[in-house]
Amino acid sequence: MKRIDPTQTPIQSEDIQPSAMLNMSRRRMLKLVAGGAATLWGQEQLFAQTMNRLAQRKLPAGSSSVRAPADPTLLAVLNRATFGFSQSAYDEAAVMGADNYLEWQLAPELIDDSAADARLAVYDTLTMTSQEILNTYNMMNNVPIFQLMESVVVRAVYSRRQLKERMVEFWTDHFNIDILDNPVPFLKTADDRDVIRQHALGTFPDLLNASARSAAMLWYLDNYANVAGNAQENYARELMELHTLGVTGPYTQQDVQEVARCFTGWTFQNTPNYGQFIYWGPNHDNGVKTVLGQVIPPGGGESDGQTVLDMLAAHPSTAKFIANKMCVYFLGYDPPEDIVESVKQTYLDTNGDIKSMLRVILRAPVAEYLATPKFKRPLHYSASLLRSTEAEIANPLQVVFYLMVMGHGPFLWPRPDGYPDTIEDWGSSLLPRWQFASALFDGAIPDVTADAAALIAAQNPTPGQEAVAINEILTGGTLSLAEETELQQFIDSGSPTTDWFGLAASVPGFQHY
Amino acid sequence: MPKIMSDDLCCNEFKKWSKRQLLEEARPKARKDAKKPAWLPRVVLADSFATRDALVVVFLRGGMDSLTTVVPYGDANLYTLRPNIAVQPPGSPDGAVDLDGFFGLPPAMAPLLPAYQANQLAFVHAAGSPDPTRSHFDAFKFMEYGNPLQPATLFSGWLARHLQTVPPLGATPLRAMAIDDLLPKMLADAPDALPITDPSTFDFPGNPGTAALRQAVLENTYALAGAPLAGSAQSTVDTINLLGTIDFDNYIPAGGAVYPNSTFGRAMKSVAAIIKAQTGLEVATVDLGGWDTHNNQGVIGGYMANLMNDLSSTLAAFHTDMQANMNELTLLAMTEFGRRADENVSLGTDHGHGSCMFAMGGNIAGGQVLANWTNNELLHPDLLYQNDSLDVTIDYRDIVSEVLQNRVNNTDLGTVFPNYTPAFQGITV
Repeated sequence: MKRIDPTQTPIQSEDIQPSAMLNMSRRRMLKLVAGGAATLWGQEQLFAQTMNRLAQRKLPAGSSSVRAPADPTLLAVLNRATFGFSQSAYDEAAVMGADNYLEWQLAPELIDDSAADARLAVYDTLTMTSQEILNTYNMMNNVPIFQLMESVVVRAVYSRRQLKERMVEFWTDHFNIDILDNPVPFLKTADDRDVIRQHALGTFPDLLNASARSAAMLWYLDNYANVAGNAQENYARELMELHTLGVTGPYTQQDVQEVARCFTGWTFQNTPNYGQFIYWGPNHDNGVKTVLGQVIPPGGGESDGQTVLDMLAAHPSTAKFIANKMCVYFLGYDPPEDIVESVKQTYLDTNGDIKSMLRVILRAPVAEYLATPKFKRPLHYSASLLRSTEAEIANPLQVVFYLMVMGHGPFLWPRPDGYPDTIEDWGSSLLPRWQFASALFDGAIPDVTADAAALIAAQNPTPGQEAVAINEILTGGTLSLAEETELQQFIDSGSPTTDWFGLAASVPGFQHY
Repeated sequence: MPKIMSDDLCCNEFKKWSKRQLLEEARPKARKDAKKPAWLPRVVLADSFATRDALVVVFLRGGMDSLTTVVPYGDANLYTLRPNIAVQPPGSPDGAVDLDGFFGLPPAMAPLLPAYQANQLAFVHAAGSPDPTRSHFDAFKFMEYGNPLQPATLFSGWLARHLQTVPPLGATPLRAMAIDDLLPKMLADAPDALPITDPSTFDFPGNPGTAALRQAVLENTYALAGAPLAGSAQSTVDTINLLGTIDFDNYIPAGGAVYPNSTFGRAMKSVAAIIKAQTGLEVATVDLGGWDTHNNQGVIGGYMANLMNDLSSTLAAFHTDMQANMNELTLLAMTEFGRRADENVSLGTDHGHGSCMFAMGGNIAGGQVLANWTNNELLHPDLLYQNDSLDVTIDYRDIVSEVLQNRVNNTDLGTVFPNYTPAFQGITV
């Protein structure tokens, strides 16, 4: 399994830039963008209200066939910031413009998301504490698991807070917890809500601190069993290797052991508040420790662990590791080194402010990442198809089923490194995608419907232009000309409308973003 | 110290919360597709299985109780440890069927006797993974990645590394197949490996009337997509076409073999059909779960008897069906750990350590129970592993390595099982 290696430098754009000056100017520009946005839009709330009003404005009515071609820059930003193109999302963004759309997405709490919330209201466990879940559903019940999995589908497809949902996906993998690792089914809901979702657009140190105290994580990485005299290193190792410094970070096995000692006694309650973090002093190793060369004096108690978290969160290796991973997630498998550097610097300048880093990443010059599109992972793939075709998901469990078949069931990755994000990993399993796309338009997925005939009728393409219209509907027009031509030939062969979309969603162009 | 969970609670959850279980509960009702052409085995490969066995790996998930499946009735300690649930010695009511004067099969495993007597089935007892973990998931990981007692830094499967270190048997799109929704860890990172839940429905989806045209569009567009998608799409299409030539529904097993109509029975029947079709498939993996028998184990006429019936009847049918192919095939069955030697108050058994493996094939040294187990020693209280379980005296890597080297021509065992020097046990002839 390929891990992200922050020391492995991709081809640097600096190396291929014609002049150092150009490089400098872009670097400065990135810096300006990073720092400037907060000044420009200081009054977040006022801004968001304005954007919400703008979003309600409709573009001029008229035949879609005369619609202006999508703006590539805007489309690229939309494809990065969301689980896929949809005409309505594009129209919203087009009214605002790319930068304003980004700022709107960066203030998710101010975006009206009542439609998605209404769909989520049926999942009673989402608002429960772990103790309440335990009281309501006994230990043999899988309702909490399915509710949480379904909520992922609902949010990816229907939430208007798309950038937040993308970051939730990112952090869910970064702080991966296998929901089948009993008793995680009763703890992950709280972790998802109070750790991942709560801090998805906050700061990395806050997120890290919350994760370190999450019962699901304390269980999954065995810190609940980490006690003085019998230190459990699992969390300590993954904390440095996967959560902060990265596997090539400047730590040793000795550091792992010392960090483990710092976290002795960090565990969670059984009763009366199941899953509540507690520091259990009697199990803490109060001796002197040395972590990354820094002496942590004896008698620190609970503060030992916090000292470690603070050190790690502030470490330049962490800044680089997080910056690179976010760039890979949003921009491409080999993100330009100067952008990664700029994001790293932003991390260090802002104490790990995630929104500030996102501004740098999502305002990066589009040409940098359009050249190397990314392969959609199954959640992204299915959500993008359901979004663009305005599918009605009456039973999200049916989509969860296909995600499991595609190997991407929410919260089911067993290892602490999270679902991989490479085309090598996902590209070998194409048939389940083709089957999903086909089944959707054949009406073969119970309680999930997409109306091919209505979609094409709304575009009203002239004969011979159906493939162009379908390309517009599914992607805003990013399928290749060769794909469009092949598709049109298939359409011209007299095939039924229901077959058109399933095929279009199966070609390679739709697998990428 | 707030201790959160007992091991026993964990296991009920395990049964409830396997990925397979979730998938089954979420699965929509299946639709049956159009009828296939009549059964016609194909012979497409010049390089055949005459030189290299097809390898079938059956994983018995949940921790199989080997003290029931292959009863060491000759060790009198068994009846002290398990006064209520031990299978009785041969000659007793519901007693074991004798194998060698020390071990026997419970009645529900008796269907395997003909294969054993034909010297094509061996049991390996007090065997398994040496890792002390009693967590199902950790045990799976260590066993399937092939790194017990080592740092958890290996994330590819031992079967995958086997496939990486031997040349393909031919130009096949499908070197390995897991009868599963996802690849098991054994096959993580394997070349040309696909998870196929049901080979009879690995079909090109949608409207049959336009399938050929749509398949052509995908082949044309993916051909332009570059690596790795171009190759992957081609493999998928080729595998669809390959499996499409096999009429699984009308497959008639040889020798009058009758597979149970169970998930496991159907899976093994599919594997038989594919191997006979000589498609170049080198490895198939099949799971049979449900061995986590904490309560009311039911070794005679109960829960576990039913499970053993499924296992033994299926393997017996496979043995009969594959008689003509026995010299080109090896089957290994294993489990993540055995169960405690003593019964619990619920007339079940809890997680233990050593267990039992099965090996079947024309070149397996069958008709014996391989074990370092003489007289009464292994179940003697002084010799129990951690005072409560059968020990692992034969590492599963010894058995697997010998099969890989002698039956599948793998000469790079150091890659398959890093940092381990296998000791061959004579499982192959």
